[in-house]
Amino acid sequence: MKRYFPLGVVLTLLATLLLSACGDNTAAPVATTAAASATTAAGAVTTAAGAATTAAAGAATTAAAQANAGDIVWLSTQLSAVQENEGFTKNVLNSFNGKVNYIQKDNGPYTDQILSEEKAGKVTVSLLGGLHGDFPPFIQNDLLEDLTPLAAKLKDRGIPQTFLDLGKMGTNKQYYIPWMQATYVMAYNKKALQYLPAGADANKLTYDQFRDWAAAIQKGTGERKLGIPAGPKGLYNRLLQGYLYPAYTGGEVTGFRSPEAVQMWTYLKDLWKYANPQSVSYEFMQEPLQSGEVWLTIDHTARLIDAVKSKPDDFVLAPAPSGAKGLAFMPVLAGMAIPKGAPNKAGAEALIDFISTPQTQINTTRQVAFFPVVKADLPADLAPGIKAEAAAVAAQSSAPNALPSLLPVGLGAQNGDFNKVYTDTFTRIILKNEDIKTVLEDETKIMNNVLNTAKAPCWSPDPPSTGPCQVK
Amino acid sequence: MSILDQVNLNDNAPVTARTARPVLNQRSMARFALYVLAVTLTLWIILPLYFITASAFSTRDALYDWPKSLFPNPISFDTMDFFLNSRGVYSSALNSLIVGLITLALSLLIGAPAGYALARFIFPGRDSYKLLILTTRAFPIVILSIPLSVTFLNFGLYDTLIGVALVHTALALPQTILVTSSIFVAVPNELEEAALTLGCHRMSAFTKIVLPMALPGLAAAAIFAFVLSWNEVFAATILTSQNRTLPAQVLGSLSNSSLPLRYAGGFVLIVPSLLFILIIRKYLLNMWGRVVK
Repeated sequence: MKRYFPLGVVLTLLATLLLSACGDNTAAPVATTAAASATTAAGAVTTAAGAATTAAAGAATTAAAQANAGDIVWLSTQLSAVQENEGFTKNVLNSFNGKVNYIQKDNGPYTDQILSEEKAGKVTVSLLGGLHGDFPPFIQNDLLEDLTPLAAKLKDRGIPQTFLDLGKMGTNKQYYIPWMQATYVMAYNKKALQYLPAGADANKLTYDQFRDWAAAIQKGTGERKLGIPAGPKGLYNRLLQGYLYPAYTGGEVTGFRSPEAVQMWTYLKDLWKYANPQSVSYEFMQEPLQSGEVWLTIDHTARLIDAVKSKPDDFVLAPAPSGAKGLAFMPVLAGMAIPKGAPNKAGAEALIDFISTPQTQINTTRQVAFFPVVKADLPADLAPGIKAEAAAVAAQSSAPNALPSLLPVGLGAQNGDFNKVYTDTFTRIILKNEDIKTVLEDETKIMNNVLNTAKAPCWSPDPPSTGPCQVK
Repeated sequence: MSILDQVNLNDNAPVTARTARPVLNQRSMARFALYVLAVTLTLWIILPLYFITASAFSTRDALYDWPKSLFPNPISFDTMDFFLNSRGVYSSALNSLIVGLITLALSLLIGAPAGYALARFIFPGRDSYKLLILTTRAFPIVILSIPLSVTFLNFGLYDTLIGVALVHTALALPQTILVTSSIFVAVPNELEEAALTLGCHRMSAFTKIVLPMALPGLAAAAIFAFVLSWNEVFAATILTSQNRTLPAQVLGSLSNSSLPLRYAGGFVLIVPSLLFILIIRKYLLNMWGRVVK
């Protein structure tokens, strides 16, 4: 008897737990649904009141935020890093008058959740946040509200038309409102400056000078200190799509197998000789930068911020190098959308309004390494790291030879396959040392198939096409 | 004892020693090899755990230092503190614990009787039943994600702890059934029959004879169910939104966080299951000492 006394105790305990969990479960849905419908009603009322005050005050800035917007579940793929998430929820969303539950999920579960909620007809999410490329599955299934009236209301915020157009996803409906932007820039350790080739300006490098610099560092230190984020979760596909390809060929797709592309790959093979062999495992360049393994690199601003934030005196951020066709760079755009059947649509609209105020946009920049999409002057008291990033981003986009290269537009479900063409090409040419022309011919067939399936016309900086974009 | 005998003995002694020494050497060599193997295996497990722990309590700067120091110096609770105080860590840890315990209970309550039946009774379709149990593991849960969430939404189980526990139970059951059935097989049937002849019912024979002997094994099966639930990410991620378990809450975000936070998070994820195993270890050792033998 004594022997299985502990088991008895444990089982009793578990039975109690189980019962209590079941009890919660049966009672909870009713209660939450009631609460949800109550908040929706409240949300609708308050926003109406909000709109009235806006009209009265004439200033659209914080009026909507002043009325309580109720409970809002915001599902997002962005700000997954713990520090960013904390900073955003505790220091940005807390000034919103309403209870926002910011839930971050990776792209897969994020898409699945919305698709299942819509299928079951029980939508719990009121606001969606994601990158440009996260929205197509919802648009294909017609699950997003048209936010054209809201966009018109936010006209005075000064969101650039190119960004708003991206949010239309090639239709005439405003599917998402721009939320924040980022990009990729060059970062280097100040110790590397002594090896900068004569006559080169670190803020205006060409790709050849970039390679010579990496070579000089290797010669001087005996170590390969150039880092490329070519790890499993590294964003080197974007460096190919938005930086090297456009800088050499003037586009992301059409010149995929052109003579200039061959020249680019030959260059990259050459550059790879000076890259740290650990590059195939790098995902966030801030880590090898901080450990001193890498002195020179290019990566997403959010993946460099830790290094410049913790040691602003050691690291410098600068625009990416330029090629024959210009300083190609890729702006990364995140947006906010409202799913059809959202339990608190009015609250979500009020939240979008709040997020797009200059003050909130600046606050967001303070917390995370993303930058405003509205007209907002960054204050002088920003943290040195953020300030350095903002300066590099501004220098990059305002360079006289700047060539903005957009994230793929209209690829939908083919997004992953499109990226794979670039990463496969990289693996075959750089890591497996296969013949450049053969690989480009092979991958061109795959790329054209992908683009035909997606029926995606060319996007900037490739010249517009009538049918699906194709490699020439 | 005669002198002759003594001489003989003395003569014999060196002979035995001579033949014994190589045997002894061989034995100590084997023993030595065993120790080396044991130490290597232990280090294999302990070293990463140690480094995670040490790094979780280091300062941010120390993490990027090279060469790395073996001990965190100075000891810092900054990242740990930040991680533990970040939104949702405590509540999701509690969720994980509740889901794990429910999974443990359900899988034992359902799995142990099934295992007992498989071990004691011969019934038509017994073999195909065994196979059927295994086939539930053959379906990758990934392809089920949307149908599963839609069904759960319709039943009102979506985003509830009991819902996650149900899926974890389904995942743990094959293992629990097969493990418990082999445990019950190891308990001699004769003892149970003897109990029946001596006035026990089936139930009391089970509770008085079989259960005490199978308890350590059942505890082991329970641990496996709990650890499976504690570590499961996918189902927990797709079936919850606001009531997430710890891995669902932090695993995705940790892989995108900076190095110091990853160590802190890794430490927090490892410790509970280690503690659980340590507490229940007694039963595990019992199992190896008694039932499995």
